[in-house]
Amino acid sequence: MAPTVATRPATQPQARRRPRSSAQARRNARTGLLLAAPALLFVAVFALYPLFFGAYISLTNWPLVGPYHFIGFSNYSALIHNSVFVESIIFTLKYTAIVTIPIFVVGYGLAVFVRGNRPGSTVFRTLIFLPYIVGLVTESYMAVVELQPTSGSANWLLSKVGLASSSTAWLVHTGLALTAVSILVIWFYAGFAMMMMLAGMQSIPTELYEAAKVDGAGWWTTEWRVTLPQLRRWIALSLIISVVGSLLAFNQFFIMTDGGPGTSTVTVVMSIYDTAFAQMDVGLASAMSIVLVIVVGLVSFLQFRFLREDGD
Amino acid sequence: MTEPTYRLTGAARPARRRLRRPLLAVVAAGAALGLAACANNGSSTTATTSTKTFGVNATGTVHFWARQATDGPAKALVAEFNKTHKKLKIVLHLTPPNDDTSQLATAIRAGDPPDVVGLNDIDVPTFSHENALLNITKYVNALSYKSALSPGHLALATIGNKYFGVPYLADLSVLWYNKTLFKRAGLNPNDPPANYAQILTDAKKINALGGGIHGFSFAGNCQGCLGFTMLPSLWANSTHLISGPLGTQKANVSGDAPLQTMLAAYRTMWANKLVPLNDQTQNGLTWGADFEAGKVGILPGDYGIAAKFTTPAQKAEFADAPLPGVNGSSYSTFDGGDDFVIPAGASNPSGAWEFIKWALAPAQQVQYPSLGDTPVRTDILTPSFAAKNPYDAVALKALAKGSVEYTLAYDAVFNEPGSPWFKMFEDAVYQGNMKGAISEGQSGIQSTLDSVKS
Repeated sequence: MAPTVATRPATQPQARRRPRSSAQARRNARTGLLLAAPALLFVAVFALYPLFFGAYISLTNWPLVGPYHFIGFSNYSALIHNSVFVESIIFTLKYTAIVTIPIFVVGYGLAVFVRGNRPGSTVFRTLIFLPYIVGLVTESYMAVVELQPTSGSANWLLSKVGLASSSTAWLVHTGLALTAVSILVIWFYAGFAMMMMLAGMQSIPTELYEAAKVDGAGWWTTEWRVTLPQLRRWIALSLIISVVGSLLAFNQFFIMTDGGPGTSTVTVVMSIYDTAFAQMDVGLASAMSIVLVIVVGLVSFLQFRFLREDGD
Repeated sequence: MTEPTYRLTGAARPARRRLRRPLLAVVAAGAALGLAACANNGSSTTATTSTKTFGVNATGTVHFWARQATDGPAKALVAEFNKTHKKLKIVLHLTPPNDDTSQLATAIRAGDPPDVVGLNDIDVPTFSHENALLNITKYVNALSYKSALSPGHLALATIGNKYFGVPYLADLSVLWYNKTLFKRAGLNPNDPPANYAQILTDAKKINALGGGIHGFSFAGNCQGCLGFTMLPSLWANSTHLISGPLGTQKANVSGDAPLQTMLAAYRTMWANKLVPLNDQTQNGLTWGADFEAGKVGILPGDYGIAAKFTTPAQKAEFADAPLPGVNGSSYSTFDGGDDFVIPAGASNPSGAWEFIKWALAPAQQVQYPSLGDTPVRTDILTPSFAAKNPYDAVALKALAKGSVEYTLAYDAVFNEPGSPWFKMFEDAVYQGNMKGAISEGQSGIQSTLDSVKS
């Protein structure tokens, strides 16, 4: 007997999956919008609006006080010939290159040191993270006092071990000033990098380490083949935060060197500040800021691309 | 049988469009608000009320913005005024350091300026030349003591023959010296240096005492401090580094012989270790500490450290003198401090003027020394004032010969990081490259004058 196939009556419409009713869909969309609205408004008002308005200002000769006029891209073409701004970009990139790897390496090393449950781990974690809590501004002022040639503790300590003379003027020589600021910043940020690495390490499944142990992997092989690959996202985030922070460096140089000697330690943000408030050219300063936004965005994008995991 | 196709229908697609619309609306509204806020609100800049009624028996509230750096007199004046004036109340707002001009500029752009501002006098031209301040010429001219007001402070608030402010408080520079060290070095303690040649000679003799004593001290990494203490010695020699009308100003560095003499003196003192080594990194934070500790013989500095000399022993040890001209023909002082200005568009200008006149009265002016500043009226210098405030009497005497470089680019030329003034100082004093320093100073200051916007 041939199988029968039930057929629908000719008048019945072909069965298909019906979408939810349009009223329900509208309600869902409205609810989603309402829930997201506060965050959207916040971003629009405090991020997007200032960005677009800043871009508009960069196309004018906006002074600190007084009327302004639209001047097109004149500010941007002036930047090419602004030697102080160009030098500040070069200096900022050099500074970023100097501090980024040490911050990561020291942070990672400290995370390895404190990740075990040995006695005192908690205390060490707190002490290492303390500089980040105290703040870079406070520590910069402290550094200014301690780096004084004849009255600061830095020269006193370093001269005892033969690493400096008792009268080294750290903050008025470009190379020494950059060294001192870099050491301060590495000390400051390493604790934060440590906490990020530690958070990542604590999320790695222990089964991976057990499997590595079963396979006879030593400490270094485990670290290289298990821990580091699992930490890729955390490393990426830590590096991006560190690089962006370095590109936006201001406080430590403003306090410790004031951009000197001359303009040799002026960072990009210091250059923008000086243009806006000393030269009172807010239009030109806005153009500098837009350029900085583009540079930071590009660097972050490249970092994301380079450090993303396969499949991301 | 064809597979049914699934596509976004009904509410889904319109919801996305509706999501974009509110965002665009927010941004557009914000832009409109911002641009509207930036529009010139066309406030009048000339007060037209009669001098008989303006600033007389005013009522309401006056919003007074003062700098945190000079908060002593501000707080004391406001407290006293509010105690004695029941119908007019002053509300004080202190602006943080480095933020005073930007806060005021923002308030003016927003159409919501305060009623009166204690503005750093070097910043007054920036605002007056943009019609941001009230023209109070007829009220200033009606002051019986107008001729006694600090000429330097008043000049900064003047355009042509119009006044856009009056002096408020004076923060002056003087030459401090240690009488005890003078005596020990065989110098006359009542004969402070009257020119730079004498400063060098005296500094060498004091330095020879040894034991950590130095003959001289300067804030060698503080651009503003150096301008504050060195420029008066040029003005006393009738030279200014900047001259000419705004918009076409000239730098006068390469032709300034007293400037080269002064820089050479500083170079000699640095090279011969007549100053503490720490001076090269002194950014103003602990400026004068060595002198207060009795370790420095001569210190061009701020009058304000007088507030620390309270005991008879200290008053016997430390003395001040006017800053001498490089070649000794006269003396001068840096007319630092603040001017009172009334922003155009202030809601209670009459109340502001009443407060200003009250603050300029002798009863209030004589209190300034105890608050760390100097009065702005030379007629306050009476014998009884001098007897009670011997340190400030010296500063107040110099006030009549004080000055400031009148320019819109003061901060950019002298105070800011990498300023051409400071680069010139570094090259001349620390590197010993006088020729290069003068040449760079001339070109650097001129290009800064040319580039600062008005």
